[in-house]
Amino acid sequence: MKKGLLLRHKRILLSLLSALLGLLTLFTYHNYAWYEEPIAKIIAVEAVGTDETIGAGRESYPIYNQKLTAVLMNGESKGAQLVIENNYSDSLAYSQTYRSGDEVFLSLSESASGALTAKVSGIKRDKYVVLFGSLFLILLVAVAGKKGLLSLISIAGNILLFSIALDSYEIADNAQLLWISSAAVIGWTVLTLLLVSGRNRKTYAAILSTLIGTFLTLIIAYGVIAGTNGQGLRYEEMQFVTHYPRRIFLSSILIGSLGAVMDVAITMTAAIQELYEKDPAISAKALFQSGREIGKDIMGTMANVLLFAYVSGAIPTLVFYLENGSDVFHTFSMQLSLEITRALAGSIGIVLTVPLAMVTAVRLIPKKAGDPE
Amino acid sequence: MSVQMVLALLLLLLMAVVGGRRGISSFLSLFFNFAVLYVLVLLLINGFPALFVTLLACLVVSYINLFYINGVNIKTKAAFIATIVTTFFLLLLIIVVHRFALIQGFGPEEVEEYTTLSFFVNVDFVQIGICTMITGTIAAITDTAISISSSLYEVHHRNPQLSDKELFRSGMTIGKDIIGTTTNTLYFSFIGAYLALFLWFRDLSYTFGEALNAKVFVSEVLSMFVIGIGVTAIIPLTAWVMARMLLKGK
Repeated sequence: MKKGLLLRHKRILLSLLSALLGLLTLFTYHNYAWYEEPIAKIIAVEAVGTDETIGAGRESYPIYNQKLTAVLMNGESKGAQLVIENNYSDSLAYSQTYRSGDEVFLSLSESASGALTAKVSGIKRDKYVVLFGSLFLILLVAVAGKKGLLSLISIAGNILLFSIALDSYEIADNAQLLWISSAAVIGWTVLTLLLVSGRNRKTYAAILSTLIGTFLTLIIAYGVIAGTNGQGLRYEEMQFVTHYPRRIFLSSILIGSLGAVMDVAITMTAAIQELYEKDPAISAKALFQSGREIGKDIMGTMANVLLFAYVSGAIPTLVFYLENGSDVFHTFSMQLSLEITRALAGSIGIVLTVPLAMVTAVRLIPKKAGDPE
Repeated sequence: MSVQMVLALLLLLLMAVVGGRRGISSFLSLFFNFAVLYVLVLLLINGFPALFVTLLACLVVSYINLFYINGVNIKTKAAFIATIVTTFFLLLLIIVVHRFALIQGFGPEEVEEYTTLSFFVNVDFVQIGICTMITGTIAAITDTAISISSSLYEVHHRNPQLSDKELFRSGMTIGKDIIGTTTNTLYFSFIGAYLALFLWFRDLSYTFGEALNAKVFVSEVLSMFVIGIGVTAIIPLTAWVMARMLLKGK
């Protein structure tokens, strides 16, 4: 009976969420008025011959020309048709071939004779972010039910916290980025763990070991970078950075390790809690033994998750440099120096957290919540 | 010595102390996986069919992450099957994502430093983009699969009388606990890796709408959603495969 009720609740929750996200997706497919930049929908594409240019490592490289017919979707001349010229190359590394149905942002300019010429300045991608994001969230709630919804709420809270942190960075001096990140890390940890596992000793143990583990990782990374004078770190290859690359890099190590360390801390404390509940008479020694086994199980795959999360993103850049004839060893060491450092620092955090979480959990948990101290 | 060398030695030491023999093989697995990525990049630039070599690389990586680290047994076999099926479906999803969102190659924010390089190269960056996304998911989905199958193994071991339906339900319960922490790991590594991008967006006062359509941002966010879909979908799949394998012959 109770089970049927739960199932019905889940169905209602899921249909509500799907309806909400479906509406949101529908909105982003029609939100042209939301933008000030002109948006056009391409309705016809015509190939108009090819040109030649010099390619990397070869004499002639084809450039294809397209003539796009598009309809303006917003602004004063909404509904007007215009013709846009476009060209692209086989690599598509920094060019785009368009198909009928694609929607693009335009920059319009009026010539002296009054004719309107348009160039594509970007592609409208917001609808795909919302569409695929909705797919993920619906699947998450379908599989994990209330817990999925809770982690969704915790991620939303974390995004909010992050934007508050960014705003306070704007108000404060640039020099304080690391302090602001540290404050954000504490806020994230407490918020996430309280939401995911509630107010109890298990949660307190996880919070404590996550914070110690994360900041210990930062201190180790800082110490190693200071001790070696940052040798082998190619800050000049850091993208999107205008000032203070070292400060931003240290903050990114701190934040990047947090998730993995938290994951290990939760797994370890949950397992020790479980062992204790199954057998309240269990000795501390037996708890340590089991904890260590679990730690061995998880640290290898967790470290690999970080390695792939950081390094795989660099594949296009690596391919691009190598295709342009850069030296293989040089390219890898230049382009991956920061990613590898992040992955290694995060992995150190993972391994450190295994004994840390174990000791904290064994000390904190075997007094049930509500027991007199 | 370089920063990476010192950190790697520290990691080796810690893994050996905490994990003993298996700690050392965990450390070596990082090297093997890195070697796979290295070879993959070399194959990609030498004209091998991109999707094929990427799938091959995923196969090798899941072999390393499952069989090399944890040995060949029923737990790793079930996780391996679930990983391969999930990877195949994710590949289809990723192809659809690239077909519509047009996120291959580089955005205008990235190309300033490439002024001396030519974009007219002999690889198709749509294919490279698909490879990048699928490689980004592989470790996370093997991690989820092995967590489910090894916990289910323990459950079956202690309660051999459970039916396949009950085992499946038990696997789903465990999955619910894992999914929250896995999405967290991915979320924070994403924020960490793109902290500089967010600061940059803010410094140049990008509007919310501009960021939401920018290639650099959208490609990363979509890749995170794809990983999220992968790690969520593999939970019921692993639970089902493992329940069937445990009860086979009974």
